[in-house]
Amino acid sequence: MSAQKIKVISRSLDDHLPSSSSAQHPLQRNLAPHLHPFSKPREYTRAVTAAKMDRMFAKPFVDALGGHQDGVYCLGKDPRRAAIVAGGGGDGEVIVHSLALRRPLLKIPNAHKGMVGGVCWTSEARDGKRGMITAGKLDGTVKIWRSEAFAPGLRDKDTFEGNEFGSGEGSTSFLDTAGAIGESGMEFDEEEGGGLSIDAAKRDALGQNLEPTMTYTSKNGFNSIDHHRTDAVFATASNTVQVWDENRSAPLSTLAFGSSMETVTGIRFNQSETSVLASVGNDRTMCLYDIRTGKAERRIVMQFKSNCLSWCPTLPTVLLLGSEDHNLYTFDIRKLESPSQIYKGHVGGVMGCDWSPTGEGFVSGSYDRTVRLWNRESGKSRDVYHTKRMQRVFDVTYTPTADFVLSASDDGNVRIWKSDASKKLGPVSTKERQAIEYRQKLVERYSKEKGVREVHERRHVPGSIHNAVKLKRDMIESRKVKEDRRRTHSRAGKEKPKAERKKAVIREQK
Amino acid sequence: MDALLAAAGPLPSKSKQSSRKPPVSSHQTVPRGNGKAPIDPSTHSILPSTRLPSSFHASTLPSGSGTAPIRPDASIARIGDKKLRAKISRLDVGNKRARQEREDVNEWLNKAVSGGNGGIEVDEEEGERTWRVRQKDIVQEVGVGARGKKFDLKMQDMGTYKVDYTRNGRHLAIASSKGHIATFDWQAGKLHSEIQLKESIRDIKFLHSEAFYAVAQKKYVFIYDQDGVELHKLKQHIDPTHMEFLPYHYLLTTVGHAGYLKYHDTSTGVMLTQIPTHLGSPHSMAQNPHSAIIHLGHSNGTMTLWSPNMTTPHVKLLAHRGPVNGIAVDPSETSAGRYVATSGMDGTVKIWDGRMWGKEVRGWKVRNQITTLGYSGMGMLSVGGKSGVTIYRDLQKDTHHTPTPYLTLPMPSLTTSSTRFCPFDDILCVGHERGISSLLVPGAGEANFDSAEADVFETYSRRREREVRGVLEKIRPELITLDTDFLGHVNEGRGGETFEEREARSFRQLGRLERLRATGKADEPGQGGPEDGDEDQVVGDDVNAGEGVGKKEKEKRKMKGRNGSTKRYLRKKAKKNIVDNSLLAMQAKVAAQRKAEDTRRKVQSGEIVKETGALARFG
Repeated sequence: MSAQKIKVISRSLDDHLPSSSSAQHPLQRNLAPHLHPFSKPREYTRAVTAAKMDRMFAKPFVDALGGHQDGVYCLGKDPRRAAIVAGGGGDGEVIVHSLALRRPLLKIPNAHKGMVGGVCWTSEARDGKRGMITAGKLDGTVKIWRSEAFAPGLRDKDTFEGNEFGSGEGSTSFLDTAGAIGESGMEFDEEEGGGLSIDAAKRDALGQNLEPTMTYTSKNGFNSIDHHRTDAVFATASNTVQVWDENRSAPLSTLAFGSSMETVTGIRFNQSETSVLASVGNDRTMCLYDIRTGKAERRIVMQFKSNCLSWCPTLPTVLLLGSEDHNLYTFDIRKLESPSQIYKGHVGGVMGCDWSPTGEGFVSGSYDRTVRLWNRESGKSRDVYHTKRMQRVFDVTYTPTADFVLSASDDGNVRIWKSDASKKLGPVSTKERQAIEYRQKLVERYSKEKGVREVHERRHVPGSIHNAVKLKRDMIESRKVKEDRRRTHSRAGKEKPKAERKKAVIREQK
Repeated sequence: MDALLAAAGPLPSKSKQSSRKPPVSSHQTVPRGNGKAPIDPSTHSILPSTRLPSSFHASTLPSGSGTAPIRPDASIARIGDKKLRAKISRLDVGNKRARQEREDVNEWLNKAVSGGNGGIEVDEEEGERTWRVRQKDIVQEVGVGARGKKFDLKMQDMGTYKVDYTRNGRHLAIASSKGHIATFDWQAGKLHSEIQLKESIRDIKFLHSEAFYAVAQKKYVFIYDQDGVELHKLKQHIDPTHMEFLPYHYLLTTVGHAGYLKYHDTSTGVMLTQIPTHLGSPHSMAQNPHSAIIHLGHSNGTMTLWSPNMTTPHVKLLAHRGPVNGIAVDPSETSAGRYVATSGMDGTVKIWDGRMWGKEVRGWKVRNQITTLGYSGMGMLSVGGKSGVTIYRDLQKDTHHTPTPYLTLPMPSLTTSSTRFCPFDDILCVGHERGISSLLVPGAGEANFDSAEADVFETYSRRREREVRGVLEKIRPELITLDTDFLGHVNEGRGGETFEEREARSFRQLGRLERLRATGKADEPGQGGPEDGDEDQVVGDDVNAGEGVGKKEKEKRKMKGRNGSTKRYLRKKAKKNIVDNSLLAMQAKVAAQRKAEDTRRKVQSGEIVKETGALARFG
């Protein structure tokens, strides 16, 4: 044997030992698939575990903010600050809650006679006082309230203008954008009765004695109110849509579509095209206005009445409507003949909806006593929240940090929920975050697989809702089947099936 | 030079540099006052996408191995739904990119050091053959480190030996038929345990690590730990002859003289299932490491494939004309559990393709009586029998001829009772009547191990870590299937319903796939074009295609037309025997019509001259 070459595997232990006692054990990788058998079943097993962990940690309820004597029918979040929300009650009481302190900052017991129709916040603060605008549903007044108690983070003599971060030069501080009201709230003036060491009696006295800085009156009650994003302009909804300047007692303009005399129930300003306004009314309509031209631009009539509306903060053309027919609809306002997506899941009329600040999803509250969270892309809700004590939900809102959602319900509480039920609150280390992200991806990848889907999509709902869902499903199913059978037995082409999206809008008017 | 420096003047001072204003960015920065740094609002905005731009991906750079940009599959363009199309195309690109990156990593990370794989190279043209190379030649050629791996453990009058390696190839267990057991770290030469059980032993197997091993003894299966302490007596496993351990499922599988295949979960200690094979005492047993299917060889020459989910075998084939006494599954890269070798008492070895069991891929006769088979990590087949072991390689090539052995390991006057290749090493361990021999087989082992899967240099802490992870990721036994790729596929139909029920359902009530099928939009796996570029996919398609052919029912010719023999017969019969008045009337009417037509034509052509006189009416 002369010209042979023999090679065998020979490994040195030195190459495979850690270089020092504290060093990591050296890893050798070979990614060839034949060395990793069962990679798919193993990944699937991990995905099932991840889905189970996700459900195990799902504890969405954070707290309930009480204090209202009657049900809470409207919420007004302060878009400039993370942790302030005002709730308007059925007895005309308005309470400004601090989410960080989880207690009322100020209670205005008789803000209005009768129900509060809407609450919103001004776009600036004057003399360190944040302005809150409330509208009465029955007494036909709109009031602006200014108090330092609304803005404990804002120091005296600071001017605050349009920009979230304060105006460019001259301003020495800006509002607590991160929602850390507790830290700066410590500096708040004690005499006014606010801050951390809040004195309930003083606070109540302050609320009792607080007078509105401005009052606007009208013959009709106001159903809804919304403030312009930057200007000192707000719009109200009664039997017409009125646009007001904060400094004038008479409306700047009154908007209506043609000669329609319908009752307008909801109104919202667009967040990007700030002069565009949308309203929903009792005649099953949704109407778009431009306050620069002072005209109603277009209107659609739908099958059912919409109760609430919200503009997407990141996609300026996307509008969300919550309808009485238990569904939510998103419209692209460039193409109003059909909704771009239908969101089905509620078994009661949708009373309130609000987009997440990221525009990726939204929250809706319904007459069926549940709150649902949705992704913009999918027509099924990603989560449903309920508690035994929560009654009919009349308004919901996302906090500006997108971490929490708030619901206002009939039982007189404003509830704080996590926007992601299983998300950990508090600091998360890099390793932990990577593990969480990996688990999320796994669940997403195998979400159509039965074992994962059963765990991931299963939500426990109260018996009444469960039964209602079943009943509704059966009803729709049988109706559809009937339609189908009728079609098979009628002349071909006579009755064409109509897409669900095309059914929603009856007519578009220009 | 000096003049030049003087002309250039002094260097600008550092303080002056720092006093310069920072460059103005395109973003508006907002001062926050009181010594706080100004804030850039654009950094607080929401980024629509945090992905790396595609131009930065390594595979698209000129330095990367991929020159063509990665594009989604062309067939994706057929999807009508915009959202779905975007999602699937994103997934597809991601998968392709991951595969490419994996290949890049493997290419650079796990390249053989000096080109080519290990093995013996001889000058074939000068008449030299690899099988002429003797162990002593190999030992002389190789380095000192590898030389020590060839050793013999001589045990006289202890009976025949069975051997087993752990999955990382680090530890070896030997068991003699007369009751001698030993486990040791064969590289370090460290003995873990040695017991003399004084009863007959038929098999030995390591469980998930070297810390536990199972022994098939005379009556039951026993589990011992590293120190040789008996931990469990598995009373349900009576009279065991063969054992296999499925490491990812934590299942100990045994089969005994009674022919019952038993699955025992070693993580919970619960017997999962026992399946009667109804084929008597099996002669051989093997597992497919890629699908966890158990292969059994029986005395009547059949081989059967089992999973715990079916009480009947997945596959049952007549492999030999005589008992099947050796089965081995090829775990190497090219096969990945697809090729199976069997040997029979009839003196033949056959290679089977798991995608098509109809006929063996190749078969050849061996002179010696065969007793055991084994596959190495690189796909070498060892055929052990009387007076030695023969090793073959490249068995999927040139299948028409009897293969030439790669290496012969003669053992005069000995019969091999078990052979096992050491994972990730060029070692073949042979058990026989006089102990065991560890022999060098160059090129047999997979050189590049993955320490996340089976670490050759596993430390105690890493083993602990692996054990915990292994139990957490224990695969459910229901996932053991012949088709390993079924997870994540579309479940067809809504089973459990009769044909009538299915037919009675309206379009609304159909499942999604059925609806698509009804509208002719279903994208069935058979329809896929040949545009799949990547290798894995092609291989997978082959598998599916093979099954598709098997599944596809032969189309029945339904005799609905007029040409059936019965129909024809009935038709004739009906014409003769049945007197139907209406039919007669009809026939008369047709005949009259024909006659009238005929006359009319004849009149027109002038064949008949129609009388036109007064008497014509009588005519």
